[in-house]
Order: sequence, then structure tokens, then C-alpha cells
Amino acid sequence: MPWRLLRFATAKKHPEPRMFTTHSTLKPTYDVVVIGGGGHGLAAAYYLGRDHGITNVAVLEKGYIGGGNTGRNTTIIRSNYLTPEGVKFYDESVNLWKDLSQEFDLNLFYANRGHFTLAHSDSALRTMRWRAEVNKHYGVDSEVVGPDFVKKSVPMIDLSCGGHAPILGALYHAPGSVARHDAVAWGYGRGADQRGAEIHQQTEVLSIDIKGGKVCGVQTSRGYIATNKVLCAVAGFTPRILDMVDLKTPIYIHPLQAMVSEPLKPWLDPILVSGSLHIYVSQSARGELVMGASLDPYELHSTRSTLDFTEGLSAHMLDMFPFLSHVKVMRQWAGMADMTPDFAPVMGKTPIEGFYLDAGWGTWGFKATPVSGKTMAHTVATDKPHPLIHGFSLDRFRNYSLTGEKGAASVGH
Amino acid sequence: MIRLPPVPGEWIDRSTVVPFTFEGKTYQGYAGDTISSALLGAGEKVLGRSFKYHRARGVLSLANHDVNAVCQWGDRPNVRADVTQLQANMNLTAVNTFGGLDSDKARILGTFARFMPVGFYYKAFHSKLLFPLWERMFRGMTGLGKVSFDTPHIRTPKRYDFCDVLVIGAGASGLVAALTAAEQGAEVTLIDENNRAGGSGGYALGAEASRMEQMTEQLNKVLAHPRIRLLTNTYAAGYYTDHWIALVCSDVLIKMRAKSVVVATGGYEQPAVFRNNDLPGIMLASAAQRLLYRYAVRPMQRAVVLTANQDGYRAALDLSAQGVEVVAVVDLRPDHLDGEPEQRVIALGIRVLSGYRIIEALPGAKGKSVAGARVGNGKSESETLPCDGIVMSVGWAPAANLLYQAGTRMRYTQSLEQFVPDILPPGVFACGRVNGVHTLSARRLDGQRAGSAAAAHAGFGDIREIVIPAETECPTHPWPIVAHPQGKNFVDFDEDLQLKDFENAVQEGFDNIELLKRFSTVGMGPSQGKHSNMNALRILAKLTGKEPQEVGTTTSRPFFHPVPMSLLGGRGFSPERRTPMHSRHTAFGAEWMMAGVWQRPEYYRRAGKDRLQCIQDEAVAVRQNVGLIDVGTLGKLEVIGPQAAELLERVYISNYANLKVGMTRYAVMCDESGVVVDDGVVGRLAEDHFYFTTTTSGAATIYRELSRLNTMWQLDCGIVNHTGSFAAVNLAGPQSRALLSRLTPLDLSAAAFPYLALREGVVAGIPARLMRVGFVGEWGYEIHVPANQGCAIWDALIAAGKEFDLRPFGVEAQRLLRLEKGHIIIGQDTDGLTNPFDVGLEWALKMNKPFFIGQRSLRVIDRQTRKQKLVGFILDAQFNSSVPQECHLVIDRGEIAGRVTSIAWSATLGCHIGLAFVRPELAEANTTINIRLTDRTTVSAKIARTPFYDPDNLKQKEPA
Amino acid sequence: MKIMTCPINGPRPVSEFFYWGEIRPMPDPDTCSDDVWADYVFNRNGAPGVKKEWWCHIASNTWFVAERDTAKDWVLRTYLIGDES
Repeated sequence: MPWRLLRFATAKKHPEPRMFTTHSTLKPTYDVVVIGGGGHGLAAAYYLGRDHGITNVAVLEKGYIGGGNTGRNTTIIRSNYLTPEGVKFYDESVNLWKDLSQEFDLNLFYANRGHFTLAHSDSALRTMRWRAEVNKHYGVDSEVVGPDFVKKSVPMIDLSCGGHAPILGALYHAPGSVARHDAVAWGYGRGADQRGAEIHQQTEVLSIDIKGGKVCGVQTSRGYIATNKVLCAVAGFTPRILDMVDLKTPIYIHPLQAMVSEPLKPWLDPILVSGSLHIYVSQSARGELVMGASLDPYELHSTRSTLDFTEGLSAHMLDMFPFLSHVKVMRQWAGMADMTPDFAPVMGKTPIEGFYLDAGWGTWGFKATPVSGKTMAHTVATDKPHPLIHGFSLDRFRNYSLTGEKGAASVGH
Repeated sequence: MIRLPPVPGEWIDRSTVVPFTFEGKTYQGYAGDTISSALLGAGEKVLGRSFKYHRARGVLSLANHDVNAVCQWGDRPNVRADVTQLQANMNLTAVNTFGGLDSDKARILGTFARFMPVGFYYKAFHSKLLFPLWERMFRGMTGLGKVSFDTPHIRTPKRYDFCDVLVIGAGASGLVAALTAAEQGAEVTLIDENNRAGGSGGYALGAEASRMEQMTEQLNKVLAHPRIRLLTNTYAAGYYTDHWIALVCSDVLIKMRAKSVVVATGGYEQPAVFRNNDLPGIMLASAAQRLLYRYAVRPMQRAVVLTANQDGYRAALDLSAQGVEVVAVVDLRPDHLDGEPEQRVIALGIRVLSGYRIIEALPGAKGKSVAGARVGNGKSESETLPCDGIVMSVGWAPAANLLYQAGTRMRYTQSLEQFVPDILPPGVFACGRVNGVHTLSARRLDGQRAGSAAAAHAGFGDIREIVIPAETECPTHPWPIVAHPQGKNFVDFDEDLQLKDFENAVQEGFDNIELLKRFSTVGMGPSQGKHSNMNALRILAKLTGKEPQEVGTTTSRPFFHPVPMSLLGGRGFSPERRTPMHSRHTAFGAEWMMAGVWQRPEYYRRAGKDRLQCIQDEAVAVRQNVGLIDVGTLGKLEVIGPQAAELLERVYISNYANLKVGMTRYAVMCDESGVVVDDGVVGRLAEDHFYFTTTTSGAATIYRELSRLNTMWQLDCGIVNHTGSFAAVNLAGPQSRALLSRLTPLDLSAAAFPYLALREGVVAGIPARLMRVGFVGEWGYEIHVPANQGCAIWDALIAAGKEFDLRPFGVEAQRLLRLEKGHIIIGQDTDGLTNPFDVGLEWALKMNKPFFIGQRSLRVIDRQTRKQKLVGFILDAQFNSSVPQECHLVIDRGEIAGRVTSIAWSATLGCHIGLAFVRPELAEANTTINIRLTDRTTVSAKIARTPFYDPDNLKQKEPA
Repeated sequence: MKIMTCPINGPRPVSEFFYWGEIRPMPDPDTCSDDVWADYVFNRNGAPGVKKEWWCHIASNTWFVAERDTAKDWVLRTYLIGDES
């Protein structure tokens, strides 16, 4: 047992201080206002302080920290993307992830499990080879493997998937990992707080004050704040904020659902994804199978659940793992995903001076938390887009120079 | 004896003895027992171990949230003992023990509890080196049951059902609601998760038989009513949009569509929080009453009843009536109504300690039983009451899960100390305890009110105005919680969370209900907070100085109880499409591949030949003689009407207005952003009549999208989808004409039926549309016939082909043949961002047309610098090492400069040929490019003009 | 499951329908600027609200207009194109 636990046993009073300071009022002015207290917003606030010395920062969260997509995703971390822009960006993210628990002194349960994207058709196999080759080019550990390799790693799998979707191979990405999603928000939140940023929960942005094409303030449910820099990091709600500043983007919202089983003794180590069967699954440290499928088929700004989601996903899970017949699904939930036409995010500066965008996170946002925080902090601090996010600028939709991640993200986990 | 003499209305059948084993020991129960009741009936009190500290635990609720009494039953993990029917020869073990329930080695964790406050695992174990080890250890400690890899794939049919009014819960209010709705004319389905209907009317009696008699009377009326269907053993797992309710009925999922829904789900009795409140023998009053009246099990000999409402006094009366010595009734309230049940309790000589609380329960040996209750009133000295069981009746939380899922706004009512529905969504009604109505007579009235309103909503009768009398006492105590310096006062039994854990979590800043839940994991266990959420909320309210209303609740999500995947998955439909000639391909030895939803022959197996050889042979047969491929999976559409040509002009990038009748033209479709999305061939049958094909995978979406565009544009033409109604084959090869001439009277001369022409005629007596296409680069005919003639045309061609050495070929040979000809495959040689310029389709692109989809974007793209170009390449004829594969990268000076999209060995050309995207500066013929293989070695290739084969298209011309 | 009312086939479960998206007027490609065109091609009115959308009843291939509140998922009305009033 680690010695650190001794202090819990020996202390008279619980020895842990507050992770986040409560601020009863807003200051009249901040150097930077971050809208959205999810992983991304908190990470940006953290790196603004750590890397750029900007600490007069307010993070405004209309609910509670990590309560949006940060707390709803299926926590998969990987960098086996398709485009050079995507691979470099997510690779930097994985590098940051690896040290995060130590940096925060908070156990994020960052667990390296390995990640399989299963191919059930020769065209899927082709795309995987493409991904593997691009990945390796940028030093990312990724390879196309045959069914035997899959079977060796996950011996209990039915390689024929019920006979109608045989597994022909897979893209294997050894660095694929999972983490405890809530703790990521807490870690960044605590770190930002320690560096002087203020986290204001239950504080809703009502409007954004723009004069002469420049940001000059934010009206919130708790009063007005003067600021020249606003970072919008509210994936799932992006269009609502952008409506306030009359900024048009391709972002549209579809729900993304997930479900968990009752806790089981560990049997599944790696993360498995199947685009054809619309499955992604891993087993959490608590023993629950965490499962997702594909986006809901129509626009909706709601986190309602549907029965057909659990039906379809269970049927496909049983094709792959028939022995789960008796396993029970405990809970289902949903998040709202910011979708983009090319399945890549929208990051960086906007036509409005001082208004920065960290959006379009679709189904791929959690894994980008550290790198988006870091690059957006750089972008906000220097007013220049970080080199890693050039491919994700809003301009690309004016210039027809999209960043085609669709092939890697269509079941994007 | 623990088993009581027969109790009126008991659910057990004493004539059927059921043997079973638990933890290796043999027991006997009765038919009708649950696992828990049988074990208790047999004298066992310890049913499981807790999740974190591995403390001995017994019955808590007997209502499907006894998450510590969970068994492994053969290959079934996490079987809930409290509600699972006992079956003969069940072999059960408690889950999550190390070395068995009795002497679980992990119980030592209880002594280390001080080291493990809430969230302790976030504070340690994260050394980079050791975390993987720690994680493995944690994973071994967490989790409950085990999956068995031998479990078969269980496929269960699902049922669809409809009703006017669905009443969920057949307790006092639900029975009346169902009757009222049915009397107003509605078809009613009444469900209850228990084996039998009646709810607490069958066990919360206060030793008054009349209560059960009234319930039975109502139940009999329900059973006799022709418009009521009663489904017992059925729970509503989730409420979904538009009154779509998932009902789980033993081993089937019923998808119920109701016109209105009455939620009469009652309340969850809530535990009191005091030190050692988890010892086996301490249970909710309703659990004890269920044991007494359903299973005739006496849960204890000497009981202390902890209460804060009349329900507790009734429980004391029930216990006493069934021979349990009630040592005392400890009432948390100093002042309270001197109710009728209390008077009866006093009359029995039972001590009533008003204003007292249980400070702690005293454990028996090894914490496996209760030895006593230390009680006090905070003023005088505390007192120990010896007992072997404690019964808790301190209040209720509404079983409002379905109401929340339906979008009900709930509000906290001080007079009841519970949340009640504030604004219900249309068509959803609530009655009984879930609606804050607790007195039995009032619950019945409330059922009448809700049943009437629900029937009226469904269009039956008028709403009856019924006034529900206010409760005379508050049924729920606002603070049934007692702190103790030594803790072990549990709030969440699933997750082993103590009062202190909440204080610590709030101290660390997790001071709103959602953050508290996520940090402490309260309510996240398998019971999903049924017994813990309300106390957690009260604790948080107190710690933050807020009212429960301000604290709010966490979101309720499906499922109400966990649902087996086999029920959700059902039979598991995986539809696939087959062409009419499927059986012919099978007979010919087809190796199948999936092409979208279609099954297509990849190639045909030949004895003694491997896959590649078969494919090469098939390709050679086409080049040398004649081959036949089933292309019936292509999308086959018709557009008819005066503006048919206009529609095609607008959706394809080439011209079709000037296409001559009887001719075909290649057709490429873009999306609005100028990306190539589909291709096919358009043929003109008449001025106002076109027949055209799409890709196999695009068929459905193209048809749908063209229909939408036509609806929007309101052109004077109509579209017909013939994809399924036509079969199609491609007969290709130098001998195709000779072969076909045996079967058709059509003039097949080049003059009469030139390349790219379209003819209608008769082939083998079958009316057919024929197109002279050149996809594989040989003289050939695509022959389209009605689907029911597919086999006939196939058989006729095969028969006539004998003398020409006709050979069927599959998708792989076709891919090779078209590659030799330099034809692209959409989706393989293009990707999600490819425009016509990238793939050399400028020749097809008619930018001077008035309009086509994608045109405006392509104008912009045309002005931009080209980024890539699809080119042909060849490997040296002598090349004999590892061959590049599709999607290997083209590398130029260390950077990615493109990728291979197609590659194959061409026997005809005697070298490897391929297509690749390269940067424009590498696209010149004879440029050498480097292709990097998986093993990092590179292969040189030379850019070559396409078509590789027959570049001058001589094969389509009449031989001189 | 959500019910969608097809103007031809009546109320049906939403799984029988294909959602296309909001109906957006196309600018005149011959006169509009490149930016206006790119805005039409890529940008969306992503904020929640009552939108007129294209939906298709798949089995019968019926395209129609649904006016739907995209925050609440309430279908206010559905009609065939041209039958708006």
C-alpha cells in the first residue's frame, strides 16, 4: 500500500484541501474569459497560466465542471488518425496524456490497453493500411494486423461476428488508452485554480459584447465582465454561443449515445472498435463494459436516450461476444456532439478579434483535451494559431481545403 | 423455527421443496421463494459481501436493489438474490469474494478503511512505473460476477404491443387507476414487477387482515375486467419518446406503445444512516414485511423498529403478530401524531421511545449479525437494546425514474419531505406514493384521479375531479442520519460509502450533486441510487446549507433495473441482399464477399488453384475468350418524362441533353462541394426516357437523393428504382458477340450496335436491355432483364457459352481488368475529398452547362493550385520482391507525396500496374516514384499513361 | 420511439425515416460571390430552434417537409412540398 495513504489514516481531519476555490463574485474584468468548464476549457485555463503566465482568467460554466461531453464520453485516447494534421495533433495529445497524472499529482487512471479498429471488409482494410502508414510516418505506433493477431489478444472474440461480418483484420494501435474522464476535468480545474484562474460554475453566458469587430465583454447570468479575449470551448453548445456573435460555421449537433453494463470481473483488456458493426467497447477499471455505437441520425439538441440504440448495440455486441447474453445493461446516456463536414475540429482565431474557437469536437474531443488546451492557450496568448492547429482553422471551409478525417472517425473512437 | 406456519396469501408453495446449493452448502426452499427468502428461511443471514470493505451483508430491501446479495449462477453473473425465483438445483455462489463468502479474505480491507477515504484512489497509485500493476489489482478487486465464455448466443424474439392506457405498478393506486381507466372505456395494460399484483397491500398490513382483503377485492375486479390485461413479473425498464415503454417480462422484451401512461411505481423505502446499519439482520421495514407475508419467513427473533412514520408502527404490529418480539419502537420524532397503529403498539406493551435514534448497531460475532442497538435521545444516557434484527421505516423516496425520463419536472415538498411531480408531460400521469400520496385510502383516490385523466387523455370518458386529502403526517423524516466518530454508517450500500465520505468530498470542493456523485460514486452502483440518492442529497443540502430543492437531483436514465443484452439484442437481424443468380454462383463455387449490403462472388474456386490463380485465370479468360459477371448489384434507375434529360443535366457533370436515343454515356456525380460521390452509365431509351446505373453501394442513397432533388425542383419527370427488379450481367470478351448472336435476333454488327449503344431486344427469349460497355476493356454487353428472368438469362448464356469457353468471373477479376483499362472505382480510387480534377475527369466535366450540382464549387476549386493527381504507374517487369499494397504511401524526399489506390499483377501486361495519387509535380509520365512498404523498404515505380491495356480502344472497334 | 407523421402514410416510427437536414435556399450560383457560395455549401444554422427540414419516408420514398423544434424534438407539422399553407 502506498505510504501516501497513511496520511489519511493518521490525520485527525480529512487532510485534503478544496480542489477548486469558490468565488462569490465575478471580477469586473479578466484578461481572458473561457466559456465552458469542460476538459478543454479548463485545460486552456491551466496552460494559459502554466505556459504563458496569464492568470487573470475566468472559466464560466453554466452547469458544473466536466458535466458536458467531458463526463459523457467513453474515454478512449488514441492518435491513429488519417491525416498528417490529425496524427501530429493527437500524437502530441497522447504525449501530454502520459505525464498528466504525475503533473497533476492526481491519478487519472490513464491505462494503456491497446486499441483495435476491426475491419470487416477489404475497403475498411485499405483505409486502415492508409492510417497505419501515415501514423508510422509520424512516429505513431500503428499497424495492420490479421485476424490471428486479434484472436490472440482477445481470444474470446467470435471472429466471424455471427457469420455475417467476419473480421478480416484490424488496425492495432498499441498506445490506445482509457482514462477516468471526470478526474481529467478536476485535475485541470485544480491546476488552473492553483495558478489563479477562477472557475465560476452555474454561470451562464447570456451575450457577448462586440464593438467594431472586437470582443469587449461578456454578459453572464451573474453580471457583466469586461474582457478582450474570449475562448469558446463548449462542444455540444457551440452553435448557441456562435449565434450570439453572429458567426457562421459548419457545426451541427447530433446526439451521441453510450451505455454501460453492470460491473464484471475483468475479461477485456484492449479497446475494440468496429465501424461495420457500429461498436466501440472497453472495460472500465470498475469492471463495467463501456459501449458506444454511432451518431444519432438526426439533429437534436438534447441528451435523451433511445431504446433502439441499446437494441442495436446489444445485438452487435452479441455478434462479436455471444457469451455476453446474460450480461445486463445498467445505464444509458447521451451527449451532444459538434459535428463538422470533414470530421476534424474547428480551432483557432475567428473573424472577430479576440474571439477564439475550440469547437467541432464531434466524437473525438476527449482524447484531444490536453493538446487542445495547450494549443488554444498558445493561440489566445499570442493571438497566433499554434502550428499544430493550422489544419483545423475555420477558413478551410471557405477555401475548400478540408482536413479529411472522415475515414478515421466515422465510428470515431 | 424461522419459517412461519402458513400465512394467508403467502407466495410459497410448501408442497414443492426446492433443493439448491449456495457457497457449496446444500439448502432447501420452497417453490415461490426467491433466493434470499430461501436462504433466510434456511437460517442464513449473510448473503454476500460488500463491494469495497467486504463486510457481511444480508437483506436490505428485498425489492431488487439488494446489490450486496448478488450471486453467480453458473454462467449467469450478477443474479439478484432478493428477487430471483428459486429454481431446483441452482448452484449459487456469492460474487466478489476472495475465498468464499464465509471467510472472504478481502474482509481485511475493512480494517484499512481509514486509509481509503472517498476518492483515495485518485490520490495515490499513479507512479508511472507501478500504475499498470495497481490497475490490474484494482480491476481484480472491482467488478462483481464473472462472464463465462461458454455462454451461448441467446436469441429472444421481441414483442410489439399497444394499449390505450399503460399503468405501471399494480399496488393500491395502480389497481384503482387501471379499473377507473378501463371503466371509462380504455384498453388498459397493467404491469407489475413482482410475481403477484397488489403491492404493499399484500404485506404492509399492520396486522389488519382487512388491508389484504381490500387489495384482493380490487385485484379480483382487475382480473375480471375484460379491458384490463395484467402482466406480472414485468417491469418498465425505460420510458422513451412518445410513450414508447420498454417492458421486460421474464425473458422477453415488449415494446409497448401507449396513448397515455400512469406511473404508479410507489416509493423506495429509505434506510436510516447509523453506525453498522449494514449488519445482516438490519433491513427496511418493507423488506421484513415482505419476508413475513410473501415467504412466511421470520426475519429475526427480537427486533428493534426504527421509525418516523405510521408505516413503522404497522411493521412493528406485523412483526409482533408473526411472533417476533419487538423490543422497542424507536421513533425519531419527539412529537408526532398519536396515530391508531401507535396506540395498538402501545396496547401490546411494546416500548415506544419517542425522540430517540439508533446511535449504532452492535455487531454479533465477526460482524455477521446484530447483537443490539444502542439508542439515545441526546439528553439522557444511551441505552443498549439487545436484539437480532433492526427494522427501518424512516421514509420514502419516490420511484420517479420513469417520470424523470419522461421529462417531468419534480419539486421538493416540505410537508412530505419528498420530491413530487410538479409539471407532468402530456399523457403522463402519476399516482400513489410516487405522487406524494401515502395514506392507503388516499392512494386509492389518487389512482382513480390519475386513471380517469389517463383514459380521458387517450380519448375515453371525461376527467373526474377528485380531491385528494392531505397527508395527516409527514411520511418521511428529513434527517434519518446519525453521525458517529467511528463511521461505518453507510449511505450507499452498493459502493460502501459512509457519511464521512460525503463530508470529505464536499470539503474537497465536490459540493454540487452531480460532482458529488462523480467523485464519491454515490448512486453509480448497480442499484443506481435507489436507496442512496435521497440520503446523499439530504447530506449535501445540510453540508452546503441549502434546501433539497436547491440541491436538485441527478439525472435519471434508463434502465430502471438492468436489462440482459440478450433481450435487448433480440434475434439480431443482419439483413443481406442476394442477386437472383445467387444459387448459380454457389453452384459454381463462388467465394463470397460483402459489397455494401450485397453478397457478391469475389471469385470462383477451382480445384488445385489458389485465390490469386483463380482470379488471374478469370481475367485471362475475359481477355482471351469471354467471361460473364453478375452486375445486378448496380443501382438501376429510370427517369421518364419531358424533363428527364434536364434532371440528369443537373445531377451529373456531363451532358445528357445531347445524348442520342439508343446511346449511353459515362456519368459522374458530385456533391455540392465538388467531391466525386458516384458514377455509372446513363442510357437514353427515348427522348423522354433514360435508364441509368449507379454504384452498388450508392444505389439507395442516389435514388433517394435524386427523388429529393426532383421533389424540390418539381421537374416534369419521375424516377423509378429498378435495382431490385432487374437482374444484370456483363458478358465481356472477344467472343462475346459470337456467343450473344446465338441467343438474340438483334443485329450485333458494329454499325447496328456500336460501342456505347443501348438496345432493347430479346435474349434467349427474354426481353432485355443491352448496353455495349467497355468497363473491363473488351467487346461486351451489359444485359439487363427482369429479376425473375435472372437465372434464365444466366443459364442460357452459360449453356451457349460452352463452346466459347465462357467463364464466370468475380469482383476481383473485374477490378484487375478495369485497372488494366485505367478505369477508376469510386470509393477506392477516390476518397471523401476527391474532386473530378484530381482523378483526370476533366474530359467528362462540362463546366459550360447552365448548372449541375457541385459546379459552382468546382469553379472555385478550378482556380486553386492542384494538390494531387491520380496517375497510373507500373513496376519493373522483373520486379520480384514484396509488392506494394493499396494505401502504401508515395514518399518524396522523406515526405508523404501520395498513396497507391489500386495495384495488381497483370498477366496480360506482364507487370504490376496500379493507380496512385501523387503530387502534381510527380505526375508526368516516366517519373520515378518511391512507394514505401509496411516494412519501411521502398519500391520504385514509374508513372505510366493509362489505359495500360488497349490505349487506343481498338478492342471496341470492328476488327479490320 | 419517436413518431413521425408522413403526409402520405401517417404516423410511423422515426426509424422508418431518413433525415436530410434543414431546407436552405440556394444562392444564385451565377451571381453570388465565392464566399456566399461556400457559406451555402458548408455552413449550417446549427443553433436549436424550429426548422423546416427535409425528411423521407424510406419505404415509400416520400419526401416531405417537417417543421421540427430541434431542441425538444417536437414535430410541429409535416407536409408535402407545395402544401405548406
